[in-house]
Amino acid sequence: MPNESFVRSGREENADRAVLSAPALSTTPSQGAHGAVVELIDVGKVFGATTALSHVNLKVARGETVAIVGPSGSGKTTLLRCINFLVPYDSGRVYVNGQLVGYREERGRLVRDSEHNVNQVRKRIGMVFQRFNLFRHRTVLGNLLEGPLYVLRVPKREALTRAYEVLNMVGLADKVTAYPDQLSGGQQQRVAIARALCMQPEVMLFDEVTSALDPELVGEVLAVMRRLAQQGMTMIVVTHEMSFARDVADRVAFMEGGTIVVDQGAREFFTRPQTPRIESFLRRMSLA
Amino acid sequence: MLQFARDYLPFYTIGAVVGMGLTLTSMLGSVAIGLVGALGRVSERPAVRTLASGYVAIFRGVPPLVLLYVVYFGLPSWAHDLGIRFLMDLLSPLNNRILAAVVAFALNSGAYSTEIIRASIQSIPPEQTEAARSLGMSYWLTMRRVIIPQSLRVAFAPLGNEFITVLKGTSLASVIGVTELMRDAQLAAAATFQNLVAYSLAAIFYVVMVIILQQMVSMVEKRFSLHHA
Ligand SMILES: Nc1ncnc2c1ncn2[C@@H]1O[C@H](COP(=O)(O)OP(=O)(O)OP(=O)(O)O)[C@@H](O)[C@H]1O
Ligand SMILES: [Mg+2]
Repeated sequence: MPNESFVRSGREENADRAVLSAPALSTTPSQGAHGAVVELIDVGKVFGATTALSHVNLKVARGETVAIVGPSGSGKTTLLRCINFLVPYDSGRVYVNGQLVGYREERGRLVRDSEHNVNQVRKRIGMVFQRFNLFRHRTVLGNLLEGPLYVLRVPKREALTRAYEVLNMVGLADKVTAYPDQLSGGQQQRVAIARALCMQPEVMLFDEVTSALDPELVGEVLAVMRRLAQQGMTMIVVTHEMSFARDVADRVAFMEGGTIVVDQGAREFFTRPQTPRIESFLRRMSLA
Repeated sequence: MLQFARDYLPFYTIGAVVGMGLTLTSMLGSVAIGLVGALGRVSERPAVRTLASGYVAIFRGVPPLVLLYVVYFGLPSWAHDLGIRFLMDLLSPLNNRILAAVVAFALNSGAYSTEIIRASIQSIPPEQTEAARSLGMSYWLTMRRVIIPQSLRVAFAPLGNEFITVLKGTSLASVIGVTELMRDAQLAAAATFQNLVAYSLAAIFYVVMVIILQQMVSMVEKRFSLHHA
């Protein structure tokens, strides 16, 4: 599998860079010379009788956007959740910034890591869900401040400044005092993205974030994600939006039966489908 | 009747205020117990869950009147008979009628509050927890910042009903001589021999208090709700 994905250069001149760059939280030394932000090695997960993941390998470099596509039930969500350990994988290893997630090594064996250490990893990973999952009892601003104030424990002033910057970036500066149920789905999803960005994550995980939206609201969310990618955010995007995968992702990983069967450059993935299976998948997505 | 009302209205009013005060303090204890109990009921540790369920099973089963007798007549004298200094110091405050009533009502109502708050915690979609955990929040931080604040909004109305139940239950405190509304009615009846009038006036007082409370609960509930649209 060709893993030598290119890291796009020339993003530094982007005007919005100040908002979104700066992996300010590199408290752990990056392991390995390759400097992958996320690396999955031979990851497996079994739910009862269902093998959700088996032998998954994936490497995502800093600044890269990887789209994960594949049929329903192929394990895309499970893969994403293993990265921040919302799903505890049961074989293989997941590294984020060179740090093993969810386990630590003791005399050559892996033992479950403490809740505290898992949280340390999680706060550097942003996750956006299909159904937004905003805190219903908090305003937009409240949603954005929750993590920075209570998890990162940054000073209120700093958290506020950042929250307003991010809200401007997602175009919702006029909604600070609104409650989630007073917003459209597209607006809620942009707030959810903003909430994750306020944590200054090293990587953002998106799980079909436009699937629950009315068609006319999909565009505004994709636009925000596109901008993020251009600004150099590292992103792993599970999506059914093939045009987004084609235009924005650097690479596409195609999943089937719990594993990544093809991982290649986005352009090649769409122009030269490697297997008949992918061809028919793309045809079904009406884009081949 | 009118003459009776004119004579005894201030007397009843004081009784009503005492009853309301009893209810407020008991409910404060009840909700505090309910919070701890509910957290116990949803705990990941089986021993803690069992403890919390045990409390609920026992205190929901004991009639409040029996509990009142145990707390007021039973506990302090039991400690005295045992002669254990620590227990005597701990339980002698229960010789105070009002305190004994508050403790008994709070323990009784606490079992119901535990179940109300537990149900409200479990009604919060698990996605809320997931979102919190994905931000790096610990179990307790998630509880404190996300789950409890939302579930208290859900629990508000049923806790309001519980408040009304406790208010009516405070009439039981008359049997240990707390001069709340019911006790006042008994005294008025004894002094005038107008039983029907004396107790009916007390009934009217209760009804009015409950109606006012109900209004307040639904007013606050609207402002406090998770639905803002
Ligand atoms: N919590 C769970 N318990 C049991 N089985 C699960 C659980 N989560 C996922 N699975 C199973 O694991 C497999 C992979 O599921 P997953 O949700 O990762 O697929 P997906 O690719 O995200 O599908 P979709 O496109 O429908 O979202 C499925 O067979 C699913 O039924
Ligand atoms: Mg999924």
